[in-house]
Amino acid sequence: MKTTDLPIGVEAAWPDRPARRGTERLLVAIIVALVAAGVWQMGSGMWIHAKAHLAQLLIASAWQRTVAGEVAVRPWPWADTWPVAKLTIPRLGVERYVLSGADGSALAFGPGHATGTARPGERGNSVIAGHRDTHFDFMRHVRIGDELVVERADGLRVRYRVGTAEILDRRDIWVMDQAGPSRLTLVTCYPFDALRAGGPQRYVLLAFLS
Amino acid sequence: MQTGPLTRTTWQDVVAFLGLAVLLGLAAGLLLGSMALLLATPAYADERASREGALLMMSPGNGEPAFAAPLVSTDVVFQVSGPLVRARVVQTFENPQDEWLEAVYVFPLPENAAVDRMKLAAGERLLIGEIRERSEAKAIYAQARASGRRASLFDQERPNIFTTQVANIGPREKVVVEIEYQHTIRYDGNRFSLRFPMVVGPRYLPGGARPVSDAARITPPVLKPGREEGRTNGVSIRVELDAGMPLGPLDSAYHPVAVEAPSPSRRIVTLAGGAVRADQDFELSWRLSDAALPRAAWFVEKKDGRHYGLLMVVPPPLERGPPLSREVLFVLDTSGSMAGASIRQAREALAVALARLRPEDRFNVIEFNSTAQSLFAVPREASERNRRAAVRWVSSLEARGGTEMAAALRLALAQVSDSERLRQVVFLTDGAVGNEDELFEIIRAQLGSARLFTVGIGSAPNGHFMTKAAHLGAGTFTFIGRVSEVGERMGALLAKLESPVMRDVQVRWPRGVHAEVWPARIPDLYAGEPLVVTAALDKLDGALAISGDRAAERWSTVVPIVQGTRASGVGALWAREKVASLMDVLRRGVAEAETRAEIVALAMSHRLVTKYTSFVAVDASPARPQGADLLSTPVPTLLPAGWDYAKVFGELPQGATESRLSLLLGISCLLLAALAAFWTRRRA
Repeated sequence: MKTTDLPIGVEAAWPDRPARRGTERLLVAIIVALVAAGVWQMGSGMWIHAKAHLAQLLIASAWQRTVAGEVAVRPWPWADTWPVAKLTIPRLGVERYVLSGADGSALAFGPGHATGTARPGERGNSVIAGHRDTHFDFMRHVRIGDELVVERADGLRVRYRVGTAEILDRRDIWVMDQAGPSRLTLVTCYPFDALRAGGPQRYVLLAFLS
Repeated sequence: MQTGPLTRTTWQDVVAFLGLAVLLGLAAGLLLGSMALLLATPAYADERASREGALLMMSPGNGEPAFAAPLVSTDVVFQVSGPLVRARVVQTFENPQDEWLEAVYVFPLPENAAVDRMKLAAGERLLIGEIRERSEAKAIYAQARASGRRASLFDQERPNIFTTQVANIGPREKVVVEIEYQHTIRYDGNRFSLRFPMVVGPRYLPGGARPVSDAARITPPVLKPGREEGRTNGVSIRVELDAGMPLGPLDSAYHPVAVEAPSPSRRIVTLAGGAVRADQDFELSWRLSDAALPRAAWFVEKKDGRHYGLLMVVPPPLERGPPLSREVLFVLDTSGSMAGASIRQAREALAVALARLRPEDRFNVIEFNSTAQSLFAVPREASERNRRAAVRWVSSLEARGGTEMAAALRLALAQVSDSERLRQVVFLTDGAVGNEDELFEIIRAQLGSARLFTVGIGSAPNGHFMTKAAHLGAGTFTFIGRVSEVGERMGALLAKLESPVMRDVQVRWPRGVHAEVWPARIPDLYAGEPLVVTAALDKLDGALAISGDRAAERWSTVVPIVQGTRASGVGALWAREKVASLMDVLRRGVAEAETRAEIVALAMSHRLVTKYTSFVAVDASPARPQGADLLSTPVPTLLPAGWDYAKVFGELPQGATESRLSLLLGISCLLLAALAAFWTRRRA
């Protein structure tokens, strides 16, 4: 009757522990690797946001000094960019400090004013670019007719009203042409929710003096 | 096994674990974020964040012309006999619409092409082009255009850039312009190569103190890739090759070809798939079987009572001597036009060159686009560590921005430091600039005892810049069009850099023979390179003596000139060589008026297109009715193969980071880890 014990006994006689330990070790290694990769990836994702937000705090005080009359105030001593304007969107409660230069090193810390285009709030076409997932995350909420306010270094506030919103190709550089009415051109990447950077499309808002 | 309670605790564990992991991630992110600000500037160079969208080159406009431009197709037939090439280029302009058109087509030819014939065929009529001073030709053409007569004008913009203008092409009509030129095949290290450029790549035109005055004439509109609408500016090619002696293998580097062999010394080569897109240079190369290799060749032509001769002599190879003590500066073009395939070729070429350096050599690397910067402040010894640092640095470089080559050249030529060593500058670029003359001046004035070697990169390198810069820099040049060629071509170039050159090469002409020889001063010869001179002689008599110094030995040889191989076109080659030499004189600051008069006289007597002389052909009677409008339109060109349009013409700033991807990946990893942990616990 109790013959069923036999197989169990036989099974138990097999030294199953070392095998288990091997799998366990492997699993632990996988878990450690996954945790490390996860922390690292989260860290780099957070890093981008952290520096984007921390930088704006430092830039705010640099902007105060700029409005007070200093020129090209670097927010931290080794920065290669400085605030050139303050952009606000009253309806959305958005405030951003615009940095000089629309290259990668400036855009990491704030929206950037493209060199060679008119200065924000001045005559001509002023192009400002920003990352859709950090400083320009408000772009999707901007509506035609919204008011944009640019505060210049001399303290003067210039008001614009959003006229058009377009999805363009990155090669459509005519967007940066200076001819035509004075305007503010805001550029960010499109689609807004794309996971990866570097896509070919751009979301472009044109705002005209109001 | 008691599964119930265990499951509960495990779930609690998982939640706790996840929470902890997320907190850890947050903390790490914040920590890194604050560190980011401290470590700011250099760290973001490699961040795939965004780039400046400034206009890098002349804007191609908001699109194509409002009305359809004429379609162009080109048929080229090369007749190669020995080292001489006669090429016939037939351009067919087709008006696709119901308006009368003027076509303006900017295209390249080999930099040493001597263009000496032009014809215009419209319908039944065949008109022979006449050579005129450029301004006069232009006036004749303009008058014909206004009066409705068919006409064509053929100008030289650069030694390798030409413009064909055709006026009054009728609705739906075809007009054919035929040009012919002569040049010599490049021979180097027992390899003959015939190169035919197909497109003028967009040129960077620096602003500043010396803007390029003829910018508009060398920058045709460029079709956006994907919006070409069937325009390929198709080119078909036929090469009739007669080497005069048994041929070794033939190789077409970038286009598949069909080869017929009527005899051991002859080949007929055609493009295998018919016409190809005009966006990639054609290069055909061949070797002769070694035994048949001649050491010297002498070609003669009698024209207008004068004898013209072309001499080619190959100095025998030399055993490699003791290694030279060198200081090598690599200058790498990382401008927008190098983006894509070109920068990969250049990086690879640089890696090959670095690997060949000996530890005793010194080196440095300079990269330039809108600005120039060097790897080390001063050249360093080529230790394993330094070389690896260089390879790492170079692989991190991205191609974007302008081509401020002048700054890079100045930086490189000023940096050469150790006067004891042989100074060599290796310049890797596609030469996509319009200010060649300004750069040549810098090379001439600041080279000192250094030598400049150019490596032409990509599908449409600027051959004029490559060859002339190397010539002025007392160095030599090579072309690389794809990564698979890097090993062989760089190997050949580096072998030259490592071998002693033959200096002070002299050609003594027989007594009693008056010879006008161009080039007047024979450049130093690198291993494998032939001596090439052209001469105009009053009689053919006696033998000439050639000598040169190489390492510690004096080499000399004698070539009889009474007996020469008859070849037509030698006179044109001599005149072309003289024009090039006079243009060099001009670059040295001699008043233009004098040189110009000499070049015009020479070009008129040899019917040669130069910077100052053009071909013009005009029909006698008007074709376009009075009252019908004439539309003038440039023929748009293709972007050279492998180029990135956005990197050349600029693009809008990039407005996104990879933060979301990172966060998503991070969370997924942590979730997976939690699941794995849960599973482990269960099993336990």
